[in-house]
Amino acid sequence: MASKGGKQSRSASGLSGRKGAGDQEEEDQPLQAVLVADSFNRRFFPVTKDQPRALLPLGNVAMIDYTLEFLTSTGVQETFVFCCWMASKIKAHLQKSKWCRPSSPNTVHIITSDLYRSLGDVLRDVDAKSLVRSDFVLVYGDVVSNIDISQALQEHRHRRKMDKNISVMTMIFKESSPGHRSRCEEDDVIVAVDSKSQQILHYQKTQGLKKLQFPMNIFHSGSDEFEIRHDLLDSHISICSPQVAELFTDNFDYQTRDDFVRGLLVNEEILGNQIHVHVTKDGYGVRVSNLLMYDSVSSDLVRRWVYPLTPEANFTDQEGHSCTYSRHNVYRASGVSLGHGSQMEENVLIGCDTSIGANCYISNSVIGDNCIIGDNVVLDHAYIWNHVHIASNVEIIQSVICDKAEVKEGVTLKKQCVLAYDVVIGPNISLPEGTVVSMHHPEEEEEEDDDEFLSDDAEVGHRSDKTKQKVFNPAEVGAEGKGYIWKASSLDDTEEEELSQCLWGLVLNPDPESDSEDSETDGPDDPVIPSPEMDDVKVFHMEVLGTLQRGLEENISCDNLVLEINSLKYAYNISLKEVMQILTRVVLEYPFQQQGSHLTPSQYVALLLPLLKKWAPVFKNYVKRAQDHLDCLSAFEEHFLEQESHWAAMVKVLMNMYELEILEEEMILRWFSQGATGDKSRQLRKNQGLQKFIQWLEEAEESSEEDGE
Amino acid sequence: MPGPYKETDLTERVEAFLSDLKRGGTGAGPLRGSAETARETTALLRKITAQARWGSAGDLMEIIRKEGRRMTAAQRVLKIIREEYARSRGNSEEADQESLHKLLTSGGLSEENVIEAINELLTELEGTTDNIAMQALEHIHSNEVIMTIGRSRTVEAFLKDAARKRKFHVIVAECAPFCQGHEMATNLSKAGIETTVITDAAIFAVMSRVNKVIIGTQTVLANGASPTPLIVCAPMFKLSPQFPNEEDTFHKFVSPHEVLPFTEGEILSKVNVHCPVFDYVLPELITLFISNIGGHAPSYIYRLMSELYHPEDHEL
Repeated sequence: MASKGGKQSRSASGLSGRKGAGDQEEEDQPLQAVLVADSFNRRFFPVTKDQPRALLPLGNVAMIDYTLEFLTSTGVQETFVFCCWMASKIKAHLQKSKWCRPSSPNTVHIITSDLYRSLGDVLRDVDAKSLVRSDFVLVYGDVVSNIDISQALQEHRHRRKMDKNISVMTMIFKESSPGHRSRCEEDDVIVAVDSKSQQILHYQKTQGLKKLQFPMNIFHSGSDEFEIRHDLLDSHISICSPQVAELFTDNFDYQTRDDFVRGLLVNEEILGNQIHVHVTKDGYGVRVSNLLMYDSVSSDLVRRWVYPLTPEANFTDQEGHSCTYSRHNVYRASGVSLGHGSQMEENVLIGCDTSIGANCYISNSVIGDNCIIGDNVVLDHAYIWNHVHIASNVEIIQSVICDKAEVKEGVTLKKQCVLAYDVVIGPNISLPEGTVVSMHHPEEEEEEDDDEFLSDDAEVGHRSDKTKQKVFNPAEVGAEGKGYIWKASSLDDTEEEELSQCLWGLVLNPDPESDSEDSETDGPDDPVIPSPEMDDVKVFHMEVLGTLQRGLEENISCDNLVLEINSLKYAYNISLKEVMQILTRVVLEYPFQQQGSHLTPSQYVALLLPLLKKWAPVFKNYVKRAQDHLDCLSAFEEHFLEQESHWAAMVKVLMNMYELEILEEEMILRWFSQGATGDKSRQLRKNQGLQKFIQWLEEAEESSEEDGE
Repeated sequence: MPGPYKETDLTERVEAFLSDLKRGGTGAGPLRGSAETARETTALLRKITAQARWGSAGDLMEIIRKEGRRMTAAQRVLKIIREEYARSRGNSEEADQESLHKLLTSGGLSEENVIEAINELLTELEGTTDNIAMQALEHIHSNEVIMTIGRSRTVEAFLKDAARKRKFHVIVAECAPFCQGHEMATNLSKAGIETTVITDAAIFAVMSRVNKVIIGTQTVLANGASPTPLIVCAPMFKLSPQFPNEEDTFHKFVSPHEVLPFTEGEILSKVNVHCPVFDYVLPELITLFISNIGGHAPSYIYRLMSELYHPEDHEL
């Protein structure tokens, strides 16, 4: 009986499932996932006007099915699907699919709202409804992947256990060198990662930039080893702790994951949250973010890179969707008829009940169900969806043809054409490269739907010169054609937004020079991390010095000094680490500042020690974590490396800082044993006084340990 | 009470099993070897027999056919049901066909008998490797050079068994890109067999020195020569009633990742990489099959097939 009850609650609807969440605090929480079935951009426009992106067929299976299969195979037991655009269609699709059967190991809850405008809104809703109980997987509805994330999950949980609530997110990257077909150029990132802890130090989208800037703080971070990587493909899969949702709520300006990552990295020191990466070599994980990616993911799928998610596996368990697999990656579903002399060269997938005429030549293409294709048709890199009619003597190269479109005789589609739903083209016409034809008039959608989508980037198809006529232009779509041209060609288009918006992605522009220019002037995608300017740091340095001076003169309490330094920190956008280093340097240099650099070591110590005592609370306010201690010590070291003549004073200052409890002995020992980076600092550590002090510390520690026993 | 709940539980199990199979990939899943898969399938079918509601043998066969369509391994069980029915009626095998109509409509088939027979099949499955290994001494003689490729548990057991009495040399082709041959060689050398690992490309060069080739198999097809005898170790459950219409349909292609890593970059868009896991061996090239019930010539396979599977069950 007990197990019966368990079963029921598992397959229960979203509402009761949530209600039961409170008392269902089990030992091993089921793994949950948040699937965002909306892209919140209009990259696939106008195709997505009739069908949400998650339902667009990829290898004759809706994209969302790949995502759900990926989640299920990684052991996710509960998935929340968030839909906004065309939510009812997604819902209908899911309810028919195997995911909503009672026997599905992955319970799918569908949550719809018209109010979602971004990933941020979705996660805020997750937080508001407190849907997630523990770590969850965050993916988009257009991710195709077979990556085994269990290791990443384990690492993530381990990190969470080690230091509570520090690491909030683990992003999963796939290793692949630049220029890889499946790398989305828009998503190219430069990531600086701590080699040991895999913590992200810096994250920047390159967007074809030729110059990259790195904030200084990654170079003096505590770790002595870090990597700057450009060979990573963002799989758009991330493992998040419930804190991520809370952080989105706290920061209502976070819209996308990039905002989040950027925000977290900038505020790392304040909030103490960290983001980690997991880099995998195996598996496949790519987000279909534009049509170019659609092309490459489709061909990867047909070439079996996503094994075991192959077309013939029929993992969605749909009736009549099984197909046979034969040499050269040719897949044929049932009921396919192939005319005499037709060739399926390689990498071809043909859906069920499709008939192909005689003497056709098909390569690298995917053809959907119930299509009728005439004679002498040439298809290369063509993606033909369902119920499409193609007459004889047609040539289609690297184009997408949506459901129920019709291509009449003698039509040639050049590269990167898109025929949206129900469009009719021809006869005897040749569409130039990059033509997009839709039944919706470009103007009409602009008027009606502007608020329908949140345009992350900018508006699409802004053209005032477009005539408002609502009749089909036979010169554009042929004598019997139906549909409006959306964009003749993007090459003559100089609008930057237009370029980054276009269906096929950035690659459209073959000129790399203008490509990088475009990206540079790209408003919303400017350098992702506002790297603190060196000037700011200098000004901050001076300001801290001034503040401390004033504090000494006017006898301001340490609490107020901390407040002032904090406000300066925000004013100049200085990281906490830099604050620490600057503060240490300022204090150590203070005697020189006041009395000139001719001080003898003993004079220096005499002047510095009272100051240290006075400002000890200020230090204690900043120096808290282990890393802070090390930062402070590295600034200390740096100072004395510059002041070689004062090494005699070093031990006394260090001793004093130890006695004032600014620094802990453990950290001093660690700094001493590990921190040496150059010849000089090694030399510094050979200083007799310092060695004695360290020895003393070690003995003190031993004796205290003995006392403890 | 085998109410609707139990049935959903059953479908859940079947579906979990199926998705495990589909995701099985390169054997990383819970189902590693074909022997486990066969055992698991039969156990599942036994469960179905025990739990599903059925009135007559026809019902039961229909149920199993329905599930089996998705598992394509149910023929043995169907045959068992037929036989079991025939036995319970006291009919001879020949009368089986005539009574088919009666069989499909009437009851008179006890659940226990069927389950018992399925249990027998399960026991048979458990013992296949041992049964095959027992025949090793008849086929491997002293001082022979045996070649094998990749890793097959059956072959491994076969060779180890022979090694108890005979002294011989085994050459293992590594079977790139997965290189299960390495594992095989380690296991064999642990058992005290003189073992050499060679690359796949060296097979041709070494072949002249080899007395026998012993390999395992994924499936023995229904239709099923070189100077070196080729011996195939195949338990009975590997027999499939399917004929090879198109050679390629029995290949299993996995992700080309192992051959050309995905990280390679630009070259990937310019080449097509195929990574087949199995190869089709023509029956003419095979000298002998060694199954758990003895050695058979390839031409005899059709007879075994008719013993094991009822012709009507070939198409589920």
